[in-house]
Formats: sequence, C-alpha cells, structure tokens
Amino acid sequence: MISGNRSSGPAVLIENLDKYYGTFQALRKVSLSVDRGERIVVCGPSGSGKSTMIRCINRLEQHNGGRITVLGTELNDDVGNIDGIRREVGMVFQHFNLFPHMTVLENCMLAPMIVRKVPRADAEATARRYLEKVRIPEQAMKYPGQLSGGQQQRVAIARALCMQPEIMLFDEPTSALDPEMIAEVLDVIVTLASEGMTMICVTHEMGFARRVADRVIFMDGGEIVEQAPPDEFFTFSRNERTRQFLSQVLGH
Amino acid sequence: MEMVVVAPPALGKIEDLRRRFFATPLQALLSLASLAIMVFLVWKLLNWAVFSAVFTTSGGPEACQAAAGACWSVIAARWRIILFGLYPYDEQWRSALACLTVVVMTVLSCIPAFWTGRRIALVWGAGTALFYVLMKGGVLGLPYVGEEAWGGLALTLFIFVTTCLIGFPLAICLALLRRSGLPWISRTTGLIIDGVRSLPLISILFTFAIVLPFALPQWLVGDKLYRVILGSALFFSAYQAEIVRGGMQGVPSGQEEAAKALGMRYWQRVGRILLPQAMRNALPATINQFVISFKETSLVIIVGFFEILASGNAAYGTGEWRFAYVEVYAFIAFIYFIFVFSLSRYGAFLERRMSVGER
Repeated sequence: MISGNRSSGPAVLIENLDKYYGTFQALRKVSLSVDRGERIVVCGPSGSGKSTMIRCINRLEQHNGGRITVLGTELNDDVGNIDGIRREVGMVFQHFNLFPHMTVLENCMLAPMIVRKVPRADAEATARRYLEKVRIPEQAMKYPGQLSGGQQQRVAIARALCMQPEIMLFDEPTSALDPEMIAEVLDVIVTLASEGMTMICVTHEMGFARRVADRVIFMDGGEIVEQAPPDEFFTFSRNERTRQFLSQVLGH
Repeated sequence: MEMVVVAPPALGKIEDLRRRFFATPLQALLSLASLAIMVFLVWKLLNWAVFSAVFTTSGGPEACQAAAGACWSVIAARWRIILFGLYPYDEQWRSALACLTVVVMTVLSCIPAFWTGRRIALVWGAGTALFYVLMKGGVLGLPYVGEEAWGGLALTLFIFVTTCLIGFPLAICLALLRRSGLPWISRTTGLIIDGVRSLPLISILFTFAIVLPFALPQWLVGDKLYRVILGSALFFSAYQAEIVRGGMQGVPSGQEEAAKALGMRYWQRVGRILLPQAMRNALPATINQFVISFKETSLVIIVGFFEILASGNAAYGTGEWRFAYVEVYAFIAFIYFIFVFSLSRYGAFLERRMSVGER
C-alpha cells in the first residue's frame, strides 16, 4: 500500500532507464527526478521516446533496465506495487480512450467504485464535482460519442481526477484535437497546475509550457538532451538539437 | 434573373410501378407471366393448406385420404407425441410447464431491467433448476421421470439451453486464453479450438454418447444425455470462442490501457471494459451461432434421443397416419420458425439498443 502523502522523497524517480522494442532501443539510460508539486513538460521530435518514458511510469510499458520509483514504491514485477502505483497516478491519453459503452458520469464513477471501493453516492458526488471543474457538468448523462473532441478530453481529465491521484501524466493531450478546442483543454490543465498537482505533460504546445512548467525537458533519440526552467530553455538553450527543434515548433 | 430550384416531383405509386415493371412491351409480358405463375402457386398452396384441407379428427385418417388437401388432423391427433415425445402421458403438463419456463426465462432476459450480472444469473439459474425439477421429478410429490423418457420440444429446448449455458462461458474462457501473452497457452488453446472445429458435430456427439463410457471410469460417465450436452457445448464453444475473439480484436488497445491506468485489475478490465464492447461487436455473429445451435439439436437423433424432429417421425410413423408426413414436418418447421425468428428479432432489438453509445 502506498502512503503517498506521508512518504518523503521525490514523486517520481527514474534512474538509468532502458527500454527496448525488439532490438530497437527506445530509451537510453534516462534519469529524471520529479518533486512533489512539480510541473514538468516533456517535448521533443516524434520517436524521441517521450511517450515511452511516461508510459513506463505507470507500467503501460515495461522497462528493461534501470529503476523507477513512484511515491517511494519501486515499480517491479510485484503486481501489488503496480496496482498501487496506478491508483495514485492518473493518465490522460492523446485519443481520450473514454469507455464508449458508458455515460460520461459512469466513466468517472467506475474506477473509484471498483478500484477504490468508494460507495456509489460518494463516487457520483465526486464525479459531478470534477465534471463541474472541467466545465461540462451538463453532459454527465451523455455518451462519449455524442461529445466533441475537446469535451471528451475534458471528461478524460475528470475521469482521471476522480481517482484522486497524487500525480497526473498527460500524453500529448491536445495532439488529436481540432485547433479551436485546444484552448479549452489547456485551460483545464493550467487550472490543475495552479492548484499544485504534480504533473508530467508530453506536449508540443510551447506557449503552455512557458506558462505552467517548472522545468522543460527536451528528449531526442531516447535520451534527455537538455532540461531547464522555461525562461532559460526557450532563450538560452545550449544544445544544437534543441535549438533546431525549437526553431521548427516556434517558427510559425 | 433569379434561379428557382424545383425538386423533381415524387412519383405516384402507379407511375412508379409502371416504370419498374411495364417500361417496354417485353418487360410488361415478362411481368405479367411472372405474376400469373405466382398467383397460380399461391392458389395451389392455399388450396392444399386451407381450402381442401381436413382440420378435425372426427373422420379419422380415412377422411384425410379422401380429401385432396392437407391432413391437419394428424397434428390434432398426435401433437402430444410431437411436443412431449415418450414422456408419460399423465405427466405431460410438467413438460409443457418446463417449455414455458424456458420461454419466460428468455423473455425476462430480453428486458433491460434484468441486464445485470446478478439478475441474469438468477433468472437463468432459477429457471434451469425449475425446468430440471419439473422434468425429472422425484421431489415435491412429482413422480420420477428419467432422462431417457424425455422428448419432443422440451428435450430440444433443454439441450439448446444447457448447451448455451455451458458453452458460452467456456467460449469466453477459450477466447481469453487464446489472447494470452504466454505463447504456450495461446497456442494450446488455438489447437483445441481448431481441433474441435475440424470435427463434424455428429462425430463429436457419437464419441461422447457411445465411445466415452468405454474410456472413462464408471463414476465419471454420467447419464448419456449429459455427455451429449457436454459434447454439443464443446462444439458450440469452439465456434463461439472465435466469434468472441473477433469481437475483442475490434476493441481498440487504448481501452485496455485506460482501464489499466485507472488501476483496474485483469478481471475488472475484462468484465467491465473488454467484454461489454467485444460482445457488442460480436452480437450479429453470436445470434447466428445461437440459431445454428438451436437447429443442430436435431442431430442428437443419431445417438437415440427423441427431440422434436424424432418425435415427429414417431408421430406419423405408426400405422394409420403414415401418409401424413408432410403435414407433420410443416408443423415442426413452424415451431422451429417461431423460436428461431424470435431469436433473430431479439438480436435485432439488442443491436439497436446497444448502438446507443456508438454515434
């Protein structure tokens, strides 16, 4: 059992992480420490390993070398550890991955009820509170397929928050959205960040990174190439690859 | 100048018919000829089935042989054999109640209020138990009737329902095992499924009914009826497993990932996320498999059971009604039709209902 609030030390500690797909090495000796309440933005070209890295944190991908410690618990083959960590780590996906056969409200209530054993009435109250927070309380009885992409992604955020996680992972949360819907999703994430949630966000939205990140991490070729606070990162990046990437995403 | 857009006028019924069937003289001729043939055939059929048919048993078989039409009096005289087989005459009300139980059970499971795991399990568990007690007796003052005396519609329904009740969970297990990440498990399961599917149902029934008792220790043999049902369920599950697996492949991998990320364990993911979506994908093929299985129950005739088709044979096969087999088969076909058609309509209803979240 994880006692997230009490144990001290970093929220996420990644040491010398290696990950292979067959013979292809997706992550090379990646090390990263994320403090409680810290907001990390991870960027980099596609195929640089950024999604792979955050998917290792809740074991959607199994790492092949190194250590991952989440809230003081090491992520290993112990199923109890994996389940415990997943309960405390919320995740938002690029393609929302809402459960299409359940209403918005049921999507938000299911995991708290069956994983955390929260009574139905409490789960519903929590779900409605978070739907309010992501500004779509009126859609509670609809099915995901009836919502726009932006609305679906906000439901997905509410669904993750209903588990009352210590840490939130965002895997390119706005990449599958139409441009006019990106802002409504980012606004929700910004609010969350301002409330002190520990978060790791993979994104190409550099304006967002500048606004909320405590630290920006640039990855390329399965390695962390550079990390710095946003002001420093966007103005004085030392690395050639970083500068090239930034000129590409900021150029227009 | 202002453009006015006018929709082409809708065609009247008569005009539509004229364009479809009487556009050219040759087409008109062919249409008329086809119509004449159809009218002639329908008239012949009605004449046989209704106008010249004998409906009452008062004249006995002789009245039928004198008439030109169908002899429905054979049904009036022998319906109890067709529906109940060799079941003791005085106890046949039990067999009728048992059939009714199955119908009620099915109707109840059509009602969305019963669509929770616990309620469905309760309906089917209680229903099947009631069916069994009614048919077999030996308790509550009901005289004992052994399985060898069961027959007709009740036997057909019993074999079908138990085949599905055993076969369906087995199919889901096989489908899940075949998706296993461990190669030796998924390969072995694949081998079993393909093995069973490569055998004809008749040979499986024959093996379970006749051969198995020689191979098994006495205490494991059980009644022949249950061995046959097991064989039939195994056959059903092999096909249904592939249908379920197909449905599972249609569920995007992101669903599983989202469920994992929320901390759901394997059986929670399977039960709440994977199966509900997989079953929706697999529904049309599943209904098809149910329909096929219902009709395949007639194959148990080869291992000596008097299900409805065999009972029908017996109904006309004895002496005086020997000539009236067409009418008996028409009656049995009608019974099959009622059950299978209801099953198909139920499937269509489910599909409409389940597509709610799909838009």
